[in-house]
Amino acid sequence: MKSFKPLLVSLMLIVAALINAACGGSATPPAQPTAAPAASEPTAAVAPTSAPAPTAAPTAAPTSNRVKVRWFVGLGAGTDEGAIPPQNAFVERFNASQDKIELVIEIVDNNVAFDTLATQIAAGNAPCLVGPVGIRGRDSFKGAWLDLQPFIDKYNYDLSDFDPNLVKFYQVKEEGQLGIPFAIFPSFIIYNKDLFDEAGLPYPPATHGAPWVDENGVEREWNIETLTELAKKLTVDANGNDATSPNFDPEKIVQFGWMNQWTDPRGIGTFFGAGSLVDENGNAQIPDNWKAAWKWTYDGWWKDWFIPNGPYGGADFLQGPGGPFSSGNLAMIHIHMWYVAPWALGNVDFDWNLAATPSYNGTITAKMHADTFGILKGCPYPDAAFEVLSYMLSAEHVNELLTIYGGMPARLSLQDNYFAKYNQTNFPNKTDINWDVVVEAMAYADNPNHESWMPSFQETTDRYNEFWNYLANTPDADFEAEVAKLKADLQKIFDAAR
Amino acid sequence: MAPLPELSSVLRSRTAATPRRKLSKLEKKEIRWGLFFISPWLIGFLLFYLLPMLASFGFSLYDFNPAVPDQARFVGFANWQRALFQDAEVWLSLRRTLHFAAISLPISLLFALFLAVLLNSEHVLGKSIYRTLFYMPTMIPLVATVLIWNGVLNEQTGWINVIIERLTGIRATGTQGLRWLADPNLVYYAYTMFGLWGVGNAMIIFLAGLQGVPSELYEAAQIDGASWFQRLIFITIPLITPVIFYQLVLGVIGSLQYFLAPFVLNGGTGFPEGMTRFFMVYFYKQSFTFFSMGYGATLAWLMLIIAMIITIVLFGTSRFWVFYAGEER
Repeated sequence: MKSFKPLLVSLMLIVAALINAACGGSATPPAQPTAAPAASEPTAAVAPTSAPAPTAAPTAAPTSNRVKVRWFVGLGAGTDEGAIPPQNAFVERFNASQDKIELVIEIVDNNVAFDTLATQIAAGNAPCLVGPVGIRGRDSFKGAWLDLQPFIDKYNYDLSDFDPNLVKFYQVKEEGQLGIPFAIFPSFIIYNKDLFDEAGLPYPPATHGAPWVDENGVEREWNIETLTELAKKLTVDANGNDATSPNFDPEKIVQFGWMNQWTDPRGIGTFFGAGSLVDENGNAQIPDNWKAAWKWTYDGWWKDWFIPNGPYGGADFLQGPGGPFSSGNLAMIHIHMWYVAPWALGNVDFDWNLAATPSYNGTITAKMHADTFGILKGCPYPDAAFEVLSYMLSAEHVNELLTIYGGMPARLSLQDNYFAKYNQTNFPNKTDINWDVVVEAMAYADNPNHESWMPSFQETTDRYNEFWNYLANTPDADFEAEVAKLKADLQKIFDAAR
Repeated sequence: MAPLPELSSVLRSRTAATPRRKLSKLEKKEIRWGLFFISPWLIGFLLFYLLPMLASFGFSLYDFNPAVPDQARFVGFANWQRALFQDAEVWLSLRRTLHFAAISLPISLLFALFLAVLLNSEHVLGKSIYRTLFYMPTMIPLVATVLIWNGVLNEQTGWINVIIERLTGIRATGTQGLRWLADPNLVYYAYTMFGLWGVGNAMIIFLAGLQGVPSELYEAAQIDGASWFQRLIFITIPLITPVIFYQLVLGVIGSLQYFLAPFVLNGGTGFPEGMTRFFMVYFYKQSFTFFSMGYGATLAWLMLIIAMIITIVLFGTSRFWVFYAGEER
C-alpha cells in the first residue's frame, strides 16, 4: 500500500467512464437546433451539405449525416406482433428513398406506451412522430402536440383530398391543427351467421335505415327495441332455452346475444346518440340518451341477460383471439372497422358479416374512430418530421400503412376500391362481406365525437370506468344514485382542473 | 500493509476519547481505504437514491406534468396541503392498505411460522423435499403468480369454486357464487392467498431462527414435563422473537408498498368498489396515469413518513416483547 492516490484516481476514472456511458449520448451527437421548433429552417435541418467525415466508421457512413427522426408507435394500433415486420419494412423503404432523414421506429407495448412517452418527453428526449394515435391517445398528452398549420402553409400541403369536416376534426381550440387525417374506422354491427342460422332468425339489415324482416316475414323497424328482442332470442342457456323463455336459467348461460365490445361508457352512450360529459360551460353532465343507453346495458346485464355482465366476462366460453365475439358464442357486437382484421376474424370457425347500426328514437349514430400521426413539440427536427409525415400520408404510400393498421383511407381518392383490395389481402376466401355498411356508416358519425377532450382526461376516464365496473358487477346497484354520484364526482374533477 | 487494529479498539477510540484526539497518519490512511472500498456503494447511493429522493422532494413543490414539462410551475406546499387536508382518497387508500395489512400480515406470518415449525420437527420424513417444495413458488415471478391465481379463483371456471361446489353442493360458481376477486368482502382474502405462495422466504428465515434455539432448553423443559405446546409457547416463541420482529418490520413495510397484484389484475382501477386502490396504487395512478408527477412525489414522501413512523413505533414496542440472547433486563 505504497500509494493510495493512483488507485483512487483510477477508480474515479472508471466511475466517470461508467457514468458517461450510462448517461451520455452517442459518440456523434447530432447538431441540436437551439431555436424554437417553429423557427428552425427545414433546409438546414433536413439537408446537411457536408460530406461524411473521413474518420467515420464505414458501417456508420450511410446514416451518420442524416437527421434522425424518431417515430413512436404504441398509443394505438401497431404493437401487435404481426404489425411489427411490415412497419420495419416501411421504415426501410423510407430510408432507402432519400438520404437526408433517418427514420427510426420505436414500437412500445400499449400497456406501457403512455408512461414511456411521458417519460421521454419529460426527459427532453421526445420522439418526433407519434402514431397512429386516436383522439384518446392524443388528449392524454394535451398541450404536447405541435400545431401543424404553419407547416401545412409553409409546404403548401394539399388538404383538398380530405373531407373538410375530417380535417376540422383535428383542429383543437387554442392548440391548432394537431393532425392530418390518416385512417378512419366507422362502426357497425358484426354478427355470427351460424348462430342466426341455428336459431332460424333472419340476419340484421345491411342497409342503414332499412327494416329487419323477422322470422315470420314481418318488417320491423331496425331500432334498439328490435335489436333487444333479437339479442334475447340469441341468448341461450345450457338447457337450450333462450332469454325470452320463462324456463331460461341466467346462471347457466352458454351463448349471448349482444355486446358493445371493447368500448367504454362514452362509447356505449353514443350508441343511443352523440353527446359529451362536458357541457358548453365546462361543467359535468350526463346526456339523457347516454343515461338511457347505460340503463339499457345495465338491464341487459342483470335483468334481460342478453349482454355478458362482469362475472360472465371472464368465462372461458367467451374467450377468443379477438375477444368475446371471436369465441363463437356471442351473436352480435357493435365495433369499429379496426376489428375487421385477420388478428380478430381471420381464424374464427364460424361465418360472419357486417350489419347496420340500429336507430334510437329515430336517429342512427355510428360512432367513429379516426387515427392520425402527430408531431410533438419537443421534436428537435419538426420540418424533417413533417417531411416524413407527408411521405407517410401521401396517396402513394398511405395504403402500405393502412394495410398494416386496418384503417379505411381518409383520402377520398383512395376510398373507391379500397375494400376490394382490403378484402383480397386479408380475407381472400370470403367474398360476401357487406362493405357498403362501412361506407354508409361514415354518414352517421357521432358529433361531438365520443372520445372528445374532457378536463383531467385520464382522471375522468378512471372515474367513469370505475362507475362502469361497479354496475357491471353489481346486480342490485341503485342505478340512479350511481349516475348522480358519477356526475358529482366528475364535477369535482372538472372544478379541480380549472 | 500495516495490521488493522481490532474493531473494539477503534470503537473505543471513537466513543470513549474525550476530548477528541487527533487521528494518526495510519488511522487516516485506513479511513481513506475504508471509504475507497465502500465508494462504489456510496456513489451508487448518491446517484441512484439520494439525488432522486431529493429531486422528488423538489417535484413535490411543483405542479409538474411530464407530458408538458415546459408548463411546470412552482406551487410551494400546495400539493402537501392537498394530500393532507383536501384529498380524501389519500386517507381512504391508506385505510385500505392498513386494512389489507391487518388481514394478510398475521395470516402470512403465522402460516410461514407454522410451516417452519412443521419442517423443523424431528418427526417429519423427507424434510429437504418439503422445504424445497414450499420454497419453490417463491421462484416464480410475482406477475405469473398473480395471473395463475386469477385463473384458479375465476368465479366461473376456477378450480377452487368448482371443487367447493362439487364437495359441498353450495353454488360457488356463477354470478351468485364466490366471486373472490369481485366481492369486496372476499378480495383481501383472495389477495392474501396470492401472498401465501411467496411465503417460502419467510419460512426459511423462521426455520433458521428455530434451528438457532439451543436444544438443551427443550431437553430441560421435557425433563420438567413440559408438553409440545408449552415448549412452543414458553421456549420457541420467546427465543425467536428477534426473527418475528424482523419479519414483522419487513412485512409491514411490504404491505404499505403493496401494488403489483391489484395492478396486474385490474390495472389499478380499484376494482371491486375501490377496495384495491391501495396507497401505492393511488400513488401510481396520480404519477403515471394522470401524470400529476408533483402530487405523486408528495404521496411518495407521505408514504415514506408514514412507513418511518410505523417502523419507529414498532421499534419502540420491541423492547417489551423482543428478547435477544444474552440481553439483561
